[in-house]
Amino acid sequence: MNRKTLLTAITLAAGFGVAQGALVGAVEAGEVLDRVMESKTLKVATDPAYPPQSSQKPDGSFEGFDIDVATAIAERLGAEVEFVTPAWDVITAGHWGSRWDVSVGSMTPTEQRAEVLDFPAIYYYTPASFFVHQDASYGSVEELSGKTVGVCAACTYEDYLRGNLTIDAEGVPPFEFLVEPGEIRTYDTDLNVMDDLRLGDGVRLDAGLSALPTVQGAIDSGYPLKVLGEPVFYEPLAVATDKGDPEFDAKIQEVIASLHEDGTLGELSEKWYGVDLTSADK
Amino acid sequence: MLDLLFEGWERPGIRRPFLFLLFFGLLFWLDLSAWTTGEGPFALFGVVPEEGLGEASALAARALPAALIAGFLILDFWLLSFLPLLWQIGLVWGQLLATFVLFVYAFDLDIPYIVERLPIMIGTGAVLTIGVSAASIFFACFIALAGALARLSNSGPAYAIATFYISFFRGTPLLLQIFLIYLGLPQFGVHLEAVPAGILALSLCYGAYLAEIFRAGIQGVPYGQGEAATSLGLSRSLTLRKIVLPQAMKLIVPPTGNQFIAMLKDSSLVSVMGVLELMYLARTQGRAGFRYFEMLITAAVIYWVISFCFELVQARIERHYGKADKR
Repeated sequence: MNRKTLLTAITLAAGFGVAQGALVGAVEAGEVLDRVMESKTLKVATDPAYPPQSSQKPDGSFEGFDIDVATAIAERLGAEVEFVTPAWDVITAGHWGSRWDVSVGSMTPTEQRAEVLDFPAIYYYTPASFFVHQDASYGSVEELSGKTVGVCAACTYEDYLRGNLTIDAEGVPPFEFLVEPGEIRTYDTDLNVMDDLRLGDGVRLDAGLSALPTVQGAIDSGYPLKVLGEPVFYEPLAVATDKGDPEFDAKIQEVIASLHEDGTLGELSEKWYGVDLTSADK
Repeated sequence: MLDLLFEGWERPGIRRPFLFLLFFGLLFWLDLSAWTTGEGPFALFGVVPEEGLGEASALAARALPAALIAGFLILDFWLLSFLPLLWQIGLVWGQLLATFVLFVYAFDLDIPYIVERLPIMIGTGAVLTIGVSAASIFFACFIALAGALARLSNSGPAYAIATFYISFFRGTPLLLQIFLIYLGLPQFGVHLEAVPAGILALSLCYGAYLAEIFRAGIQGVPYGQGEAATSLGLSRSLTLRKIVLPQAMKLIVPPTGNQFIAMLKDSSLVSVMGVLELMYLARTQGRAGFRYFEMLITAAVIYWVISFCFELVQARIERHYGKADKR
């Protein structure tokens, strides 16, 4: 390569780099509240794969606790609610741009997620319970130590089984790690765990760990399972927003507080779960 | 050794016992002894007591279904051989289909649950799946043609861009490309809705694969054809359009059809952006009532019907471009 070629190449490369640098950094910030107020629509991300939180009816519309809470939030903001259904991973990845405004998706505010998302308000607490096949004869949760336990991958339940779950949110009672499984099998979702466990006690799994409402839903739909013992921990679940709009976060916080106070959340919880899960004091 | 196998295969006296042993061994290994007890399909042979299986009767319980099924298959093949070819093909298709239906039936599906959800599965899911796939294969063909021509050209930048593009989009997972387009582009202020973003990602990804297929097709046309056209005074673009591409099409169509069918199912990846296509609806509708298999099997059958229809279309296109080979 002679000098002229080299010089041209460097100039071109540098020019291209500058042009690209100018493009990046055009990220919008702090406009969510204005957008919602102006358009009078609140775009809510939901993953309708988790009855009774959020599921899809045969006509394509959505229903569930999260759906009702999102609708109530929109109402208080004076906006129409509109649901979008990106995959859970896409929601938790953050960087939403302006694709949707808020996630009302029973999300646990973990430290890792807090790096890309804001969690303005906790709106209820889910009890996490172990479940076994209905033919199994376990008497207590502790007997599951050394057994094969199935759990959703990269969720709080897996963290609990591995003994490295930390929850530092207000209103959450302390908990202990009661079980040391012999083997932990991870699945795409909790429902896969139940499908494996329904094959029989000990066929593929001895037990599973999941949200109590989800387990109850499966049992009500005819899954041959039973809940074992008392809930092992309570998981706080929060509304999530994209980073960068404190005004919107404050507004959401205010709305959730008022929904807590006037009992709307409690009523919705009674409607979908049969119990009031809006506080963790039992 | 291999020769001996082929020779033996020619002689039914060797082939049939060999096949019987093969099926028998496979089924014995699978262990269908449960079929001989209780409500199993072979319970009426009733040789095996349920409790206290002795060593010998346990073996019998394993061997009986294996021998019966293997024997039935050999008998079936033998009887089929007396029929004309078309009958053979039709009957075997029917038998395989019946086996599949029986297999599905064993799941004890909740049919009303499926029927209630068929309108949304077909009206929304299948329509979106077909729409997204068809639009993507349409754009992918143009991208691929441009990519193939650029790769075959003498221009440095064109060759570099084409090879970089093909290398990147073939070398990275489609799911990541979808994420980059859906979540990455908004960081630059470009907002594509989910469906256009999905079509863009699928077009770019399959365009890269198709570019290589197109290149192979173009290079598969003997060089002399182009030379002959040039010597007749045809321009370069006319040579490409009238001489090379029509002959290349014959080579391009079968693998492109293959890619389309693959895309039909890969289009389910756009569901991560919340596009209500078939696979997405199968999952959400199935989970709503904890009836997973019902909706997955429904989706499977719909996919199959779509790609079967496409196979018929592909056969027609192949006939059209294969006219020159007809004698």
